[in-house]
Order: sequence, then C-alpha cells, then structure tokens
Amino acid sequence: MTTRVKRPGQGFELAMMTPALILLAAISLVPLGTMIYMSLSKVSLIGGLSLSFAGLANWTRLFTDPDIGASWLRTVVYFVATVGLEMVLGTLIALLVHSLIRGRNLVLSLVLIPMFIAPIIVGLLGRFLFDPSFGLYSWLLASTGLYEGNVMGSVGPAMYTVIGLDVWEWTPLVALIVLAGLTAVPTDILEAADVDGASYRHKLWHIVLPAITPILLVALLIRSMDALRFFAIIFITTNGGPADSTKTVPIRLYDIAFRFFDLGYASAVGLTMLAVSIIIATVFVRVLERREATP
Amino acid sequence: MTRISHVTSRVMRFVLVGLVLAWTLVPIAWMVLSSFKPDNVITSASPQLIFSPTLAHYQALFSGGNNLWHNITASLIVTGVSTAIAVVLGAMGGYGLSRIRIRGKQHLAFWIISTRMAPIAAVIVPLYLMFRYLNLLDSYTGLIVAYLSFNLPFAIWLMTAFFDDLPRDLEEAATIDGATKWQVFWRVALPLMKPGIATTTILCFIFAWNDYAFATTFGGPGTSTIPIAAAQLLTQTGIDWGQLLAIGTVVVCPMAVFGLLVKRWLVTGLTLGAVK
Repeated sequence: MTTRVKRPGQGFELAMMTPALILLAAISLVPLGTMIYMSLSKVSLIGGLSLSFAGLANWTRLFTDPDIGASWLRTVVYFVATVGLEMVLGTLIALLVHSLIRGRNLVLSLVLIPMFIAPIIVGLLGRFLFDPSFGLYSWLLASTGLYEGNVMGSVGPAMYTVIGLDVWEWTPLVALIVLAGLTAVPTDILEAADVDGASYRHKLWHIVLPAITPILLVALLIRSMDALRFFAIIFITTNGGPADSTKTVPIRLYDIAFRFFDLGYASAVGLTMLAVSIIIATVFVRVLERREATP
Repeated sequence: MTRISHVTSRVMRFVLVGLVLAWTLVPIAWMVLSSFKPDNVITSASPQLIFSPTLAHYQALFSGGNNLWHNITASLIVTGVSTAIAVVLGAMGGYGLSRIRIRGKQHLAFWIISTRMAPIAAVIVPLYLMFRYLNLLDSYTGLIVAYLSFNLPFAIWLMTAFFDDLPRDLEEAATIDGATKWQVFWRVALPLMKPGIATTTILCFIFAWNDYAFATTFGGPGTSTIPIAAAQLLTQTGIDWGQLLAIGTVVVCPMAVFGLLVKRWLVTGLTLGAVK
C-alpha cells in the first residue's frame, strides 16, 4: 500500500517517451527489417521497384567475394591507423594544453575547430592543399624534397592522405576528452609525488596514465564507432581510388548500391557493418555501466 | 641548473603549441585567405601571401546561375526542422527515460544508442528503398527523416544523461507542494536544463548541417543543401576554386562559432554523456 503511494503509476513517464520511441521505431526498426528482407532478395529498380526472393544468394556471395575481403582489410588498416594516431596525438596535445598556465582556454578553442568542419569541406581542403599544381602542402612536400607528384593519385600516398585528413579532423575530439580526464586527476597525489622528487615521466606513467585509462577507453570507443560511421572524406577526395587503394567497406558498399544498383547485395554488406558497430556499442555501454558503478 | 631547464621547458612548450596550432589552423586559414584571392593568385604554382583582396568569389556565389541562397534555404530548412523535432521529442523522451523505473530499461537504452551508432553507409540502403517507395526522394521530408535517424537517438540519449544529473530534491519538493508531473517537468526540470538543451540543439544542428552522404543520395535539384553545392563544384572539370573556397568558408565559420558557444558542455555532448 505505502509503496503505491510513494511510487505512483509510471503513465506520465511512458507518455513522455511514447512519441519519441514510436518515431524512432519507424525510422530505425522498419529500415532494419527492410534491410534484412532486402538482403534475402534480388532488388530491381528498373521498370518500377520490385523485390524477388533470392534466398541466401547475397550472403553466400558476401563470403566468397574477394573484393569485400580486400575492402575489410583496408578498413582495418584505415581504422587502426586513424584511431591509433588520433589516440596518441590527442593524448599528447591534451597533456600539452593541460600544462599551459596562460592561454589554455584560447589554445583549446583553436585546437577544437577542425571537428566542427563538415567532412566534405575537409575533403575539399585535402584536394586544395594537395593539388599537384598549386597546393600549399604539395608545394611544401616538393620544396623540402619529401615527395613530388600527385599525392592523391598515387597508390600509397593516397591512403596516407585520407588517413591524415581524418586524423586532422578528429584528433581534437580525443584531446578534448582526455583533457577532461586530466583535469580530474587528483592534484594532491601529484603534489605528494613532487615532494618525493618524482620525475615528470614517472608521474605520467605511474599516476596520470592509470588515472585517465577509463577516459582513454571512452575516447577510443567513441572514435571507433565514428570511424566506421563516416565515409565522406574518402568519398569526396579519392572515392576509393586510385586502383581501389582507398576503397574501404563503406565506399565499396556505396558503389554496390548506387553505381551498380545491387541493393540486395549492398544490404548484406550493410548488415555486416551494422553487426560490427553493434559489437562496439555493446562494449561502450558496458564501460559506461562500470564507470557509473565505481565513481 | 634548474633555472635553465625551466627556461628550456618553457621554450619547448611554446614551440610545441606553435606546431600544434600550425597543424590545426593552417588549412583553415589558407582556405579563408585564398577565398579572397583573384583566380590567378589561387592557382599560382608557389604560394602567395601578398595580393589585392577581392570579394568576387562571394559575389559570384550569390548571383547568376548558381545562386547559393537556394542551397542555404534548403540547408536551413532540413537542418532546422530535424533539429527542432529531435530536441523537443528528445527532451520529453529523455526525461521519461531518466525518471521511469521499468525492467529492461537498459535494453531500451541500448537500442537507442545503437541506432545512433549505425554506420551511415548501412542506413542509406534501406532508407533509399523506402523513400523511393514513398516518393520521398528529393523532398524536404525525406531529408528531415534521414537526419532524425541519427539526431533523434542522439537527442534522447544525451537528454537522458543531462536529466540523470539533475538534483532531484527540487522536483520532490514541487511534488509535495502538489505540482502535477507535467508541471514538475515544465516548470522545475526543464528550466534547469538550459545547458543540456543548448548543447543538444547545437550538436544536432552541426551533425545535420555537415551531412553530405544522405543529402547526395536522397536529395535532388529541389533540395540541394550547401554541401551538395560544394560537391557539384568539386566534381566539375575545371574546378572554380575561388567559389569553392568561398562556399567552404560559408559552411565552416558559423559551425565553428556555434560549437565553441557550448564548449563547456562539449565533452558531455560528444561522448554522449559518458564524460562530464
């Protein structure tokens, strides 16, 4: 009886959630169902939309398609390189900004700017700065003797460039997250270490890094999910070329769907991508729950 | 001895900050600066810092065949409407989700976050088929729905995190004073949520404003947003770099200002509430 007085019905909370959840279901569960059905069908767009059941044809093709395997391999390289560099550089930048006494706020604001820039503009900047005839960075590379020629048009350098652009745009996010972690490191422990005459490297390795490990994990997971989500930078700079050298899974998927209009097969590829992102999201939520359990 | 090492460490810090800022800002500064250069200076083989500035590229954007106002209108409509819907439904849904006590709540939360994390390339395919079936290609409605597919779960999740952090005693006091649940939400909780609402609004706006993949797949001549206008210039043979750099400047500057407006809550927003 008393519990009922303390905790009245939850009708209000449910009513508040209902509009959002109905809309979300319509724009997420319905497409998911559609995609699963599409992956089992042959989708034809010519002469009106039609779907005919094709069994597991798209799925068996998925596991025997050497192009998809190559794209996944490239995605892994791209993923490890971008996320790895962003984590290392972001942490270093955060440590640097954190050590500033004056101008910390201004430097941080300036450092953050790239992550507000539309990926298509980042791609545009890449094309502009690395233009073989007048690009500022091409000129720098040529006049320092590092590289001469069309960076985006050559198999190795094209991959380095798209990785570099992604790192340029998203390192600030890692720096911002890590900086939040650094400001939470208890100063009394650091002061005690100072009194004991600990070196900077010692403090960093034994006090600061262990203290910010959970936050580094959050940064890693956030970047991992987004690394798989976005593909506009590659889309607008190399679009997978030259010779497929930057054709990651999302670019390949877009090609299959909207250049060859094989939407059934594209759905199968998309579902495997979705599975990978759900695995990362699961880890993210687990980490969150653990953080809440031990503040 | 220690004095010298102190000075060198200060100098080194100075140099490092300079390097970081150069790496970050040179591309943007070069774009903005070059957007004021005459064509022959932009495409000169060696970089030019001295030139007579011109507004010609900006004037060209707003006159003649490719009038950018058309694209700005499209961008503002799809971005504005999708953001407004996401924030209103997100605030209500987030409050409900934060306060409700039901079994399986974590499954509900997981569904919401995984929707936000779904790869855009994967979401595009079924949406394309649905929009084609429903005649929503090249329509504002289609793009608004597409942007809601990532901004609505984002808004619900983030608002939940912000509401979770709100102290409950004020709400409990209002309940004891006889306020209805709606009054508690509207008069007590929501006014305390200004930072949360501002952060959610601005981030939703930036995400939608910056989108290219959805706009190029579902849009058309009637709904081409600013990124589409930029992409069209970029894929033409004989790129008009002056206009392109001017568009880049128009797309980037407002978002950088908006983003820095909520700098204090940016970490919370961009980590979906995981870091406070």
